[in-house]
Amino acid sequence: MQHTLGFGLGLRPVHYASVLETAPAVDWFEVITENYLVGGGRPLHFLDAIRARYPIVMHGVSLSIGSTAPLDEDYLRRVRDLALRCAPEWISDHLCWTGTDGRNLHDLLPLPYTPEAVAHVASRIEHVQERLGRPLVLENVSSYVSYTSSAMSEWEFLTALARRTGCRLLLDVNNVYVSSRNHGFDAREFIDGVPLDAVQQFHLAGHQDYGTHCIDTHDAPVRDEVWDLYAHTVRRFGPVSTLLERDDHIPPLAELVAELDHARAVARAARAEAA
Amino acid sequence: MRLADLERAVQAHVLSGGSLPASLAAAVAPPAAERWQIYTEGYRLRLIEALAIQYPALHARLGADMFAARVQEFVEATPSVHRSIRDYGSELSAFIRAQADGIEDEMLAELAWFEWQVAAAFDAADAVPTTAVDLASVAPADWPELRFRALPSVRRQRTQTNAVAVWRAVHPRDADERAAAPQSAAQPVLARKTDPVEWLIWRRQLTTEFRSLEAGEAGALDQLLGGVTFGEVCGSLAAPHGDGAALQAAAWLKGWLLDGLLLRI
Repeated sequence: MQHTLGFGLGLRPVHYASVLETAPAVDWFEVITENYLVGGGRPLHFLDAIRARYPIVMHGVSLSIGSTAPLDEDYLRRVRDLALRCAPEWISDHLCWTGTDGRNLHDLLPLPYTPEAVAHVASRIEHVQERLGRPLVLENVSSYVSYTSSAMSEWEFLTALARRTGCRLLLDVNNVYVSSRNHGFDAREFIDGVPLDAVQQFHLAGHQDYGTHCIDTHDAPVRDEVWDLYAHTVRRFGPVSTLLERDDHIPPLAELVAELDHARAVARAARAEAA
Repeated sequence: MRLADLERAVQAHVLSGGSLPASLAAAVAPPAAERWQIYTEGYRLRLIEALAIQYPALHARLGADMFAARVQEFVEATPSVHRSIRDYGSELSAFIRAQADGIEDEMLAELAWFEWQVAAAFDAADAVPTTAVDLASVAPADWPELRFRALPSVRRQRTQTNAVAVWRAVHPRDADERAAAPQSAAQPVLARKTDPVEWLIWRRQLTTEFRSLEAGEAGALDQLLGGVTFGEVCGSLAAPHGDGAALQAAAWLKGWLLDGLLLRI
């Protein structure tokens, strides 16, 4: 069985002091890589202090692995230097593009699921893995529109990349749900279509449901439909490192720790059911 | 369409706020054109929100609606070229200044620049400043040859309005200022011209500090941080300070070392 870190939280600056003062029952923290690509001061001070107490995973938002603009070697060097400093368990980012021609839209834009995109992204993943000296972990993103040129499903696209490059997958259960509602596919078919041995980590987060479509907002607790899909996911994959994210309307740390306990309970019940 | 052309087309439509690119579709209701707005509106909202975090005093001064309206003009004119959204917005002060219409806008431009400098000092590179103790072993004859550079967090700014007083009303430094804050919110500090004031911003360990400088001290510090020797700084003070030049330079140097601004070269 692969190494699992247990149940973690996305580290946000507003919780730095609480984490150090209360030593919450959180198994690990995921940090946003870009927040720590700075010279010094409070961000790196608290990263070092929290890293001394908890395992850390680095989660980036601007690698832009799917862009056709050249990879930013300076960014990769800075990510590698940060990894030397905080010794993360692994380094993840998103299977998307964030801009081209030197611009950054600061958004996680979907890719067309085409053989051309598989070939292009695979060669960039291999380059990044070589630069970072480790497998890259890539997350499926929420999307609201699709490309008319797509020739395969999203899970077939993810699987093709994992098979070709040995990269690992961060399966965001909330994003699977959101995209399934927006594109009209069966979320369980997505989960069941991802290879058992390719998944490194799960993500859980809240979204807003507008009836006709959903938006991935990370501003509320995980919704029941996503807990159900998470239980299905755990029944399929068994124990996998699970991370709860909140980026807006961030509540006190204790509230997120309680929600993380709920994730533990859902996973425990699902595994008992699967056994 | 080749992937590179497809990405260029999609990006152009996000930046312009334009309609759905021909290469995109949505499988189910609502229509793709409406779904597409999640990207075009999200792009603008995300950058405006990032600037509100980066410029809290400017946001407080303008109010949320006016801030969003003015900053959106900036966003439309200034696509991000940064990896981290935290680095977006350094040009906002110049943008406001270029459109300035009256003293309030001049103050807002200086306020924005001050906030940007404070934010830059916040996570600038760490360094251990040179102290007076470190210099105790320097022989008196060698002092004129001493050279220094600034700690990475050190910033200098000149204001010609009371922008820093406006900033202070939003960011009270201590309990006394906090107690006064509700009153200053009810009676906002009016933008006005002042005699030029020189500001020094820097970080002491994890705490961002700032203070004003007398013009003479500011000039001497700028000279020293520009790379000249301490002896040359003393020399340039001879005209205003006569025989007291060395004494004045030594007094300022002592203060800068106490503040933790300098790294000996």
